[in-house]
Amino acid sequence: MKKVADILALCIEDIAAGMSTLEDCLEKYASMRQQLEPLLKIALSIKEPEDIKPSTTFKVRTRVHLMEEIHARRAKAKWWQIGFGAGAQRTVRFGWSRAAAIVVAVLLAASALGVGTAYASQDSLPGDVIYPVKLGTEHIRLMLTTDDASRVRLELAFASTRLQEMEALADTRSDKIGVAISGYQRNMKTVFAETEQLEDESASATLSETVAVAISRHIVILCRIEDKAPEESREAIKQAQELIGERQLRVLRILAGKNPVRATEITLDTMQHWLERANVAMAEAKIKRGEMALCQFVALRGLGNEIVQGAYGSNEEFDIVDEMNMQCTSNHLAILGAIYKKAPEDMKGSVERAMRLSAEGYCQASNSLLASGIRHNLPEKPQLPADIPDGVKARILDNLPEETPLSDEIPGSSGSGDGGPAHDGPLNGSHQSGYMSEDESH
Amino acid sequence: MYTKRNDEIVTDAGLELLIERAKSDDADAFGKLYDMYVDRIYRHVYYRVGNAADSEDLTQEVFMKAWQAIGRYKITGTPFLAWLMRISHNLVVDSYRKKKKDELHLDDDSWITDSAPTPEEAAELGYGQKRLRRAILELHGDQQQVLMMHFIEGFTYAEIASSLGKREGAIRVIQHRALTRLRQILEKEKDVR
Repeated sequence: MKKVADILALCIEDIAAGMSTLEDCLEKYASMRQQLEPLLKIALSIKEPEDIKPSTTFKVRTRVHLMEEIHARRAKAKWWQIGFGAGAQRTVRFGWSRAAAIVVAVLLAASALGVGTAYASQDSLPGDVIYPVKLGTEHIRLMLTTDDASRVRLELAFASTRLQEMEALADTRSDKIGVAISGYQRNMKTVFAETEQLEDESASATLSETVAVAISRHIVILCRIEDKAPEESREAIKQAQELIGERQLRVLRILAGKNPVRATEITLDTMQHWLERANVAMAEAKIKRGEMALCQFVALRGLGNEIVQGAYGSNEEFDIVDEMNMQCTSNHLAILGAIYKKAPEDMKGSVERAMRLSAEGYCQASNSLLASGIRHNLPEKPQLPADIPDGVKARILDNLPEETPLSDEIPGSSGSGDGGPAHDGPLNGSHQSGYMSEDESH
Repeated sequence: MYTKRNDEIVTDAGLELLIERAKSDDADAFGKLYDMYVDRIYRHVYYRVGNAADSEDLTQEVFMKAWQAIGRYKITGTPFLAWLMRISHNLVVDSYRKKKKDELHLDDDSWITDSAPTPEEAAELGYGQKRLRRAILELHGDQQQVLMMHFIEGFTYAEIASSLGKREGAIRVIQHRALTRLRQILEKEKDVR
């Protein structure tokens, strides 16, 4: 005789398959009716929940994170395997035994893969069978590089390779783009970590310039990729943009302390890129994209103003910094005027704040030059676009920095080290009005 | 048998190949498996924890654990999804232990609609989905797992048996006991009202 559990299971299966009804089963096993009926009713009530689905953002983010973790664990395992220990730092002093281990590893890899395979893998993309060989070759190259600065340059080169992969994948196999994005983020995180640890002063200056230039180039490429990538990859691309955008400010601050002219050039170039992007986004009614671009511009404008104020150390070429700022800011204000016209009402306030910040930067640079007795052909006050409302113009121009006597302290100039202004410009602490801090900007 | 992955149909052989590749450390293949099963695992976890934040954390953890353990997965044994669900079951149980029950928002069932059965069915059967979910979550270990795998996820008794390392007969007994216990919980609730 069958047990109740078996009969219950049989009835559930038959009813679910449409082979019988509840009543059929109860009639068939009439002696067990009292026992079976309540249990079957409960069992048949349990339904699959309504359509519960994770968000696309979560799915993409988790996939990227998953791939990142997998690659990170693999890299760690590879290091461990060749005798560096699981938690070893990358910066190691090479003993003969370790060098020998590396040579053995390279020879083994070369013999296992074949030089031809390793060479052919250089054009491979995520999803290709030989793509892991490409990553493996990169790891070996990093292992063989003992100099910190060279390793940063190598990581930067690999990050560029990841960007090329993203561009190629966005056109053809967009489902694989997440692998390249997570690889890019990993490369850049290493670049930032190693750049900040550099102890050699002159190497740090050169490298911060290299990294800053690379980031501004990457920003342009990532925007291009974002435009053509499928919707589900955009969130991950934005995260990569935010990561390098935030780090760019740090690297530029380091560079500004050593070479303010170069830091200003890169800052102004990147500002121009973001403004143009915001302008195009507004024309295409892509408001979120426009807002993000404007936000990045504002963060850089704040940094540009700080450099003008000499917040990052002594600057013998301050007149070049000031003139560059004035020239570029005139252009920025013209583009901001165009953005203002296209922006929806709730975004106009942000555009106005960006104009105000730009006008402040212009005035600070202009005042600085005037105070130093340096003549220039540019207007003393910023020229605002003619077609923005008069009320807005008045607010932007109200209480702008005037030429004032030298102050003893620069607000927010803790990085200067000497506690005072670096050049003879008027530093009146104007950045209290309308400045967006780095944190606020993100 | 076929498994659906987004818009693409994957055959059993295709699935086995993917699993084999993932077992051989192919991250890309594992990524595909993730694409195939992330929705199911998320839904499974969500049913049990009742909120998006915890469900997202736990789902992510399920796939990390799965990657670490995939070398030990045997293709001829439990279906891959059932294996993933076993991992998610263990993780949910762990998170119950770590957190207080109320922190897992078990009472938050606003996402469940009681519209699954028609009014006639509801009158006939007498149980709403919210009440049922709460009662199922009061069941212990295997009882909860068996009901969920069978009625929510649609696994056969053989698949559940393989996943839980038990015989099919044992699964039917667990199901019987689970439904009996569920009845007691629901009856008790009715009395309190």
